Amino acid sequence: MVSGSIVLQSIGFGVVTAAIVAIGAMGFTLQFGVTNILNISYGNILTVGAFASLIVENNHLGLAPTIIVAPIAGAVVTFVLARTVFALFARRQAGTFELIMVSLASSLIIQYSIDAAAQGQTFSFTFPAGKTLHTGPFVFTTESLALIGLAIVVYALLMAALHLTRIGKALRALSVDPKLARACGVPMRRILNLTWLVSGALAGLAGLIYVSNDLTVSANAGLDFLVLVVAAALLGGAGSPTGAVIAALVVGITTEVVAAIGGSYYSQAAGLGILAVVLIARPSSRTIFGATRDEVTV
Amino acid sequence: MSYYLSTIVVYFGVDVLAAWALNIQFGWAGVPNFAFIIFQAIGAYAAAVVSLGPDSGANSFQRYIVGANLPFPLPLLVAGVAGGALALIVGVIATLRLRRDYQAAVFLLIALIASQVVSGDVGLFNGSNGLAAVPQPLAGALSSLSLGQYQWAYAGFTTVVTVAVLLVIRRIGRSGWQRALRASRDDEAAAGALGLNVAAMRMQVFVVGGVIAGLSGGLLVGFITAWSPGGWGYAETFAILTGVILGGVSNDWGVLLGTFLVQIVFIEVPSFLPEFGYPGLIDKLEWIVIGFMWLAVLILRPRGIIPERRYRAKLESGAEDARYKLPAGVGVGGS
Repeated sequence: MVSGSIVLQSIGFGVVTAAIVAIGAMGFTLQFGVTNILNISYGNILTVGAFASLIVENNHLGLAPTIIVAPIAGAVVTFVLARTVFALFARRQAGTFELIMVSLASSLIIQYSIDAAAQGQTFSFTFPAGKTLHTGPFVFTTESLALIGLAIVVYALLMAALHLTRIGKALRALSVDPKLARACGVPMRRILNLTWLVSGALAGLAGLIYVSNDLTVSANAGLDFLVLVVAAALLGGAGSPTGAVIAALVVGITTEVVAAIGGSYYSQAAGLGILAVVLIARPSSRTIFGATRDEVTV
Repeated sequence: MSYYLSTIVVYFGVDVLAAWALNIQFGWAGVPNFAFIIFQAIGAYAAAVVSLGPDSGANSFQRYIVGANLPFPLPLLVAGVAGGALALIVGVIATLRLRRDYQAAVFLLIALIASQVVSGDVGLFNGSNGLAAVPQPLAGALSSLSLGQYQWAYAGFTTVVTVAVLLVIRRIGRSGWQRALRASRDDEAAAGALGLNVAAMRMQVFVVGGVIAGLSGGLLVGFITAWSPGGWGYAETFAILTGVILGGVSNDWGVLLGTFLVQIVFIEVPSFLPEFGYPGLIDKLEWIVIGFMWLAVLILRPRGIIPERRYRAKLESGAEDARYKLPAGVGVGGS
């Protein structure tokens, strides 16, 4: 029988998971909201970030470079992918469905390139976990508290950038109506470049903190975690960081509670279960699915 | 060589069955079933656990459910039923009026999660080690045959099943139901306005595809007698789909040709190549090339080698030609 305290404890873990999911989901929802491309290879960018950190960490270059290299690697790979492959198809008037196919092909290529280089192995990733703190029924390490803090900081910065700066407002305009935004003189190219870079950096960062919490890295790591990230991003509504954070809390806590009760392999299924319920209950709701336009912008 | 050839015949039959099943879902109905491989997998697992004897408990080297010891050909039927039953559940996603890329993403997530659950839950199908020592169909009755002869017998049986399924698919392919499906694929709103029940038709075609997929899985597991979740990765769907897209979506012969090119020429022939690198490297490189191949097909020949036939309804003499009344751009244009 599962005791109440274990459930309470798993809620605490759920908040930590939510912090990780939230960072990934904010990047995904920003990218998807602006470009309208459901980019499956985002999951592989998580892996790219994690492996970049792993390489730096194995060379004992210190904590700061280990942390900083993940978002940089994520941003660079995302930018290159967008400017080459996605741009090629967008120029050919490909629709949203063609582009998810393209992102899947890219996902296969990145996934198995990493896997080939890693020789199919799983690596252990050591990261200082810090002290363990007991607060009432909850157990946190200082590292996990830092993760929660990081998620809050990322959210605050993103919201400030989107709502207080000129370019953030232009970005939101572009995400709602690209044609109108272009007609109003919004610098499309600059904003799109920025979107790819920022979302790629968030993906790389999310990949790093995912493996720093999980302590192992394999070529599949990002794709496994993508399930929760996409569930949270779609649940929260495309292009809405606030929605992504709230949905990440729902997804994170549910998965951890299910893992405590039913076994860890059912935890991600629970995340998808929430998404499925929402899709079935409100398949065409515009408040949940912000994106209603058909064209993609790269 | 004969041994290898008979193996290839079985694999090809199974792959073509799978490709046709995916094609009626994706090509006819436009349902982007990126979780397709789980339907083949459930067929294989269902056939395996009903043909295996009861799980003998703690001393057994593998754990699984059911264990009914059913004789051939019942496991194959069970495989088809299992595929269809799973399709009935997962198909709810196909009936929703979602954007197709959302639908595709949800199917993909289902495939990712299914492989985690099957790998993790040891009680179900023995976890990530998978099942082994699945009895071969009629192994007792055909025990007089040598291994090579048995292989060819199985290859012949697979071919018969494949041709039978093809005849069924060709027959359905000429039906009004199939035309209605394609109409709903090309313009869902218009098909709905004509009174077609788009959601019901999608569910029907999804279940038909699921049955054929399950059947193909059952055929395969009876042949190679072992399975593990590693063989059912989400990427396997894309090997099948690459064949469909390369050959020509919604064209039975195109799908056959594309499957031959991808699954046999591209995936099986390299096993004749001398090994290089570490074991498993060739496998991974194949997937990278499949990714590039996919991109190349989408750029160079998005309709495939043998494109879908363009249908034109014959007008009865004296009937008014309705085409003149359609405003430009309303026809069944390409995507």
